[in-house]
Amino acid sequence: MSIFFLLLQQELLLTAIIFVLLFVKLSTKQWNSQTVLSFVNILLVVNLAAGFFFKEKGTLFGDMFQTNDLLRFEKNILNLGTLLISLQAYNWLLKHKHAIEFYLLMLSTLLGMFFMLSSSNLLMFYVGLELASIPLAALANFDLDKKRSSEAAMKYIMSSAFASGLLLFGISLIYGMVGSVNFTDIAVAASENPLFLFGFILLIAGFGFKISAVPFHLWTADVYEGAPVAVTSYLSVISKGSMLFVMTSVLSTVFANLLFQWYNIVAVLAVLSMIVGNLFAIRQQNIKRFLAFSSISQVGFILIGMSGANIESHSSVVYFVLVYLFSNLAAFAVINVISEASGKENIDDYKGLYKTNPALTWVLAIALFSLAGIPPTAGFFGKFFLLLGGASKGNYLLIIVAALNMVISLYYYLRIIKAMFMDANETPVEKLAISWSPKISMAVCMAGIVVTGIISGAYEYIYSLLK
Amino acid sequence: MPITYYIFLAVALFSIGVAGVLTRRNAIIIFMCVELMLNAVNLLLVAFSKMHAQNAIAIDPAAVAGVEAQLFVFFIMVVAAAEVSVGLAIIVMMYRNIHSVDVNFLNRLKH
Amino acid sequence: MEITQILFWFLSVLAVFGALMMVTSKNPVYSVLWLIVVFFAISGHYILLNAQFLAIVNIIVYAGAIMVLFLFVIMLMNLNAETEPQKNKWLKIAGVVAGCSLMLVFVAALRQSDELLKAPVSMGGETGLIKTLGKTLFTDYVLPFEISSVLFLSAMVGAVVIGKKGD
Repeated sequence: MSIFFLLLQQELLLTAIIFVLLFVKLSTKQWNSQTVLSFVNILLVVNLAAGFFFKEKGTLFGDMFQTNDLLRFEKNILNLGTLLISLQAYNWLLKHKHAIEFYLLMLSTLLGMFFMLSSSNLLMFYVGLELASIPLAALANFDLDKKRSSEAAMKYIMSSAFASGLLLFGISLIYGMVGSVNFTDIAVAASENPLFLFGFILLIAGFGFKISAVPFHLWTADVYEGAPVAVTSYLSVISKGSMLFVMTSVLSTVFANLLFQWYNIVAVLAVLSMIVGNLFAIRQQNIKRFLAFSSISQVGFILIGMSGANIESHSSVVYFVLVYLFSNLAAFAVINVISEASGKENIDDYKGLYKTNPALTWVLAIALFSLAGIPPTAGFFGKFFLLLGGASKGNYLLIIVAALNMVISLYYYLRIIKAMFMDANETPVEKLAISWSPKISMAVCMAGIVVTGIISGAYEYIYSLLK
Repeated sequence: MPITYYIFLAVALFSIGVAGVLTRRNAIIIFMCVELMLNAVNLLLVAFSKMHAQNAIAIDPAAVAGVEAQLFVFFIMVVAAAEVSVGLAIIVMMYRNIHSVDVNFLNRLKH
Repeated sequence: MEITQILFWFLSVLAVFGALMMVTSKNPVYSVLWLIVVFFAISGHYILLNAQFLAIVNIIVYAGAIMVLFLFVIMLMNLNAETEPQKNKWLKIAGVVAGCSLMLVFVAALRQSDELLKAPVSMGGETGLIKTLGKTLFTDYVLPFEISSVLFLSAMVGAVVIGKKGD
């Protein structure tokens, strides 16, 4: 009995938090929103810390649920990201009437991601996936009086419903050919039967929608732009990261027999994502749209790492998601502070930021350097390992395309850095007082970028988990 | 009945659903087309479940197979209900804001 | 022809016809009604396949609850044929072509498939009975069952937050 609690520890703790928050919401006493937010953040810290204390691994409910060291580590990464986003959203939520509902929805999507990560059959995967995406649509609508926000929510739920339709059709074909939805049975029965392949391609299309790889990216920019900044960062880091974890492990274990087929598909998706993401990112004026396209091109790089299909490439994906989490969240923290204080979200508004807010400028600059992959930031090592993982297949054309795209991406990241440091602006963002919670979040992100980059232990630790 | 008939029927319904999603602009109709796609999937899963049940019975007359597919269908229905409730709430919200349920996915991609 | 075959063809034609009418109807209310026809046809298929539990759930949940929700929203908004803007003609053609090509690719894949597809579908058997499904649902599948309760809770919270009129 106790093993049940130990294996499900992370999920049960999260569910407990959800229910505590539900009761806080439903209680007759009106809580001061500052108290509530501090309380929730403390709970999230506890949730993050508790994840490191348990090491049990095993399966439950006859292979419904599995957990091991790698999955625990991935869940801890997601917990950390959620905590950072919660800290960044502090000031926004203070003014929002529905702060507790925000956490209820966000934590239930996190719970869905946990179950999705731990799934060992397609049913659990599907239920977890939907739990991770349906409340997110409601979250995208959280700027309740803004038109853009409900439009974003609409586009998100439409495309996610359509994508899950495709995914389910793929699943049903796979079930038809295999006679089971269990990952182990599918791994054994995977074959080049045309119907099975067709189902498999539809499954990849479903994955592609969630990680917004080109050509399944059409929803990304509008949703990122319209949703509140906190939700955008959640979508681009946590939601995408969890899906990348699942996709990497499913492709390399369950569909190992079809390596040749999926290698080609993933390589094409990677090249398209990098090129389209970069070309569109150059032209953006809104900084959230800009980050949307930059994240599409980052997904392209991650897919290159994924295509290696060995332990090195798997750990490079997990490592890069960790690095990407720190870099992207640092960038979003700055955007959140500025957008919250002045409502400015255009790249032109960032001109001359250095004169008024040097600290914020440095945070954003380091984050962008890391996203661009400039040494000695963690982003450089992340991309280096990804390309190394992809190169293990010997397809050097792919690596050359990736290197060229890194140069293009350097251009547009530097464009923002130049705007902040060098360009003059008659009406710059005035000097902002930053409250404690975004400060902590930025400090953690900066520390993460430096530490995971300089200390090689991070990658080696992930590698040791995979062995 | 051979399984092929069911597969053709499910594919026809699914393709009609996909074509509907791509051709219509009314958000509610698009949602209904997605429901049609899900129903095609459900029908296919049930048919496959009975095919595997038949295969199992051929070996052992007392065998019961294909339960997981039917439960999968059950969960698809459950999830669809949740999805529709949130989706319709968003549509109502959007209608309240802009007085239209027109979806134009491609309108701002030129930027 | 046996009675089951006649029923199969009747229900299949009804389902495809209903689906086509649903997609092409100008008036959203007609679309909803045609979709309900499709759902009843599919439930008929479930009964033919002896999947009794799903047949009932399909009618109660889909035709009963979900479609009523759709109808309710459509009537609330007072939508009718004139309010829907028409898509560009070329986009429409592209959509139809995409749907058809999906079907073609699939049929091509199907023709290449092996003998498995000639396999018959059992019209009897105990798989679809409530007793069998219930036992499995509450033993092996209890975890997804519980997760779906959290899903409903959060869907409810989301719908209430969004749907509440501004205060």
